[in-house]
Amino acid sequence: MTRRLLGLGAFALAAAALATLPAAAQTLDKIKQRGVIVVGSKADYKPFGFRDPSGKIVGFEPDMAADVAKKLGVKLELEAVVSSNRMQFLQQGKIDLMIATMNDKPDRRQVVGIIEPLYYASGVNVLAAKKAGLKTWEQLKGKKVCGIQGAWYNKPVAEKYGADFISFKGQAEVETALLQGNCIGWVYDDTAFAERLADAKWKDYEMSLPTIMEEPWGLAVRLEEREGPWGKFMSDMIKEWHRTGRLIELEKKWKIPASAYLKKMHEEAKKAKS
Amino acid sequence: MDLTPLWEWFRWLYGATGVKLTIFYDAFDRQRFFDGFLTSVRLQAACLVSSVVVGVVGAWLQGSRLKPVRLAVQGYIQFFRNTPPLVQLYFFYFALGYYLSYMTDEGLRVALVSNFAWAVICLSLYAGAFNVEIFRAGIEAVPKETIEAAEALGYSRLRAYVYILLPLAFRISLPALNNNLVNLVKTTTISYAIAVPEMLYVANQIWSDEVNVPEMMNVLLVIYVSLVGVVVWIMHKWERALRVPGYVS
Amino acid sequence: MRAGPYGTTDLPVLLPFRPGARGAAEPAPGLGAAWGVALALVFALSAGIAEAQSDAGRPSTVATILKWTPLLAQGFALNILISFLAMAIGTAAGTVLGLCQISLLPPVRTGSWFMTQFFRNSPWLVLLFYCMLLLPFEVNVGGHIVPLPDWFKATVGLALPVMANVSELVRGAIRSIPFGQWEAADALAFSRRQILWMIILPQCVKRMTPPWMNLYAILTVATPLCSIVGVNEAMTLTGDALAAEARNELLVPMYAYLLLWFFLYCYPISRATVALEKRFAVK
Repeated sequence: MTRRLLGLGAFALAAAALATLPAAAQTLDKIKQRGVIVVGSKADYKPFGFRDPSGKIVGFEPDMAADVAKKLGVKLELEAVVSSNRMQFLQQGKIDLMIATMNDKPDRRQVVGIIEPLYYASGVNVLAAKKAGLKTWEQLKGKKVCGIQGAWYNKPVAEKYGADFISFKGQAEVETALLQGNCIGWVYDDTAFAERLADAKWKDYEMSLPTIMEEPWGLAVRLEEREGPWGKFMSDMIKEWHRTGRLIELEKKWKIPASAYLKKMHEEAKKAKS
Repeated sequence: MDLTPLWEWFRWLYGATGVKLTIFYDAFDRQRFFDGFLTSVRLQAACLVSSVVVGVVGAWLQGSRLKPVRLAVQGYIQFFRNTPPLVQLYFFYFALGYYLSYMTDEGLRVALVSNFAWAVICLSLYAGAFNVEIFRAGIEAVPKETIEAAEALGYSRLRAYVYILLPLAFRISLPALNNNLVNLVKTTTISYAIAVPEMLYVANQIWSDEVNVPEMMNVLLVIYVSLVGVVVWIMHKWERALRVPGYVS
Repeated sequence: MRAGPYGTTDLPVLLPFRPGARGAAEPAPGLGAAWGVALALVFALSAGIAEAQSDAGRPSTVATILKWTPLLAQGFALNILISFLAMAIGTAAGTVLGLCQISLLPPVRTGSWFMTQFFRNSPWLVLLFYCMLLLPFEVNVGGHIVPLPDWFKATVGLALPVMANVSELVRGAIRSIPFGQWEAADALAFSRRQILWMIILPQCVKRMTPPWMNLYAILTVATPLCSIVGVNEAMTLTGDALAAEARNELLVPMYAYLLLWFFLYCYPISRATVALEKRFAVK
């Protein structure tokens, strides 16, 4: 038995060594050569990225992606990603660019090339029944809370406040789990809750805790291309978005409550220009 | 025993080679991975036992004299065998779970059935559908004369089933049953989808937090293959010990 | 003789077992159709309940499901494509591996045995994750860059356990042919290869067909696992549709609808398998 297990372990390691091959570089040239840019975006994060009945991914971030494709003069192809696979897809080169509601975090900067300046910001809050009477984060201790797999704050919230996470792949699953009482609240981006709270379905729910861990969102390219032409191109693109107020315009288009962050970035960008 | 030097060695390994096994040197990850391992084992054990129970009861009902009962069992088998277990799990958990919740006095909605319980129910029904057919084949292999002899001795249908038919059928069906149970052990990983904190789920959390996919993938594969290997080995021993002498299937 | 744990049953009475009796209690084909109808009724009923629960002014449940049907059909087509490809790849590789398992060379025999056991004992979902996250997105074949789309990687992930199962099927089928046939053919001066290809394997094909079809059915119902690793097949698209609609009363009918699709595809296959099993049963 032992011999057999050892053999299997060695085999697995050999398989892994074979499987990790580096991705090819110079994305910008490749995009132009192919005439297509592949952008990873959420498909279940309304209104930032979701599907219409034809199966097309639409929303705030797909519109940003469309701007990029237009500027490059290539066709846009959107690839649906979820929080738990978006960085791997970028590393593997399956997508050229990731605009997928990702917070900028130091450990993520070691894995993917997060482009400065950042384009949006969100904090962490809890959507819970009004009756649950949540007032402080400490009340979550030992309670079951729902979350999205791959969200960076799941671990710190679990460690710091002792919450017991039940994490799902997408928002539809979490919504149902919350509504049927599998958890007392949903720990997620406050931006994801704003639209829901306006809906009658959520009239018994509230976002009562102070928002914590406010972090900006970054779009990303492969790590080795952050300083290269592709990273530079995207950096200029974001600067232009902030300067022209294009992001605020998109925010209005998708009926997202105006964020202070975008306003601040827009004003700073205008000042820097003048 | 103080294992700190061992854990620290893994921290050193990360610094020296970049192999990031946080499940050893990060206390939080270590604890949750170990809990995940235990949950996996508990889940597998619970599913194994209850799927065999479902199989035994189902095979008995299938021999019922009432046609509606036989039809219902047949419908159950066909439904669970011919639809994807993952969709069944979603259907049970997200769709039916919605109707199975109650309001507490404070007006909070609380689920009646936990994620773990849903996974056990659903996977047992799935594997049970195969078990019913396996047991039925075993029962059919027991000669009619044996039952007639039991009836002549005054056994009721239920007693003949429990004391005579089932033990014989069980031994005949064991190879096929084992095969199905090993499949069940492997299938328990799908409870990942409804956030049962078993090993695959925990590993996914860890690689999302620490971005160490290759390391966690290998750890997972090795542990699962060993775990299933142990089950296969035990079943094989059992099969040998219970083989009906002189019976060739 | 050793007494079993159930008392001192005299076990050799079991000898006259006829395998042909298996499957005798299968329902008539018409009954299966009845169950398909029953499932459709569950779906219709749940749609009706959802209808009653939905607020006035919103599109009806049936209309909503119909609206998403073309998208679901696209996704389902991908499920079928994945199942065909994985079965083809798995069968080809598994046959080779199975033949290696009866090789006369000990290293080949042991190596192929290791591989078969390894992939047979790994959970499908874990293998799927493995292929999905660790295979490169494109490979360099003789200077040509060949892209590997995610659904193809998932297909490879599903083909691995199929391969291991087919390998065991092949080995089991070859071993089930009475050894006397090898000896007889040997005496008639057939070479080992000739015996295998002209005498043993043709008989194996017949024996292997029903379990092979069973394997295909299991593979088909395993394809929704691809949704967990992010392939846009029927299950993923159902989830996305539910997210876009954001109406809880749609959950039951939508998932029942998806179950119905799979049932309608898999049930005829399982009927055919039972029919073949009966026909091929050793009399």
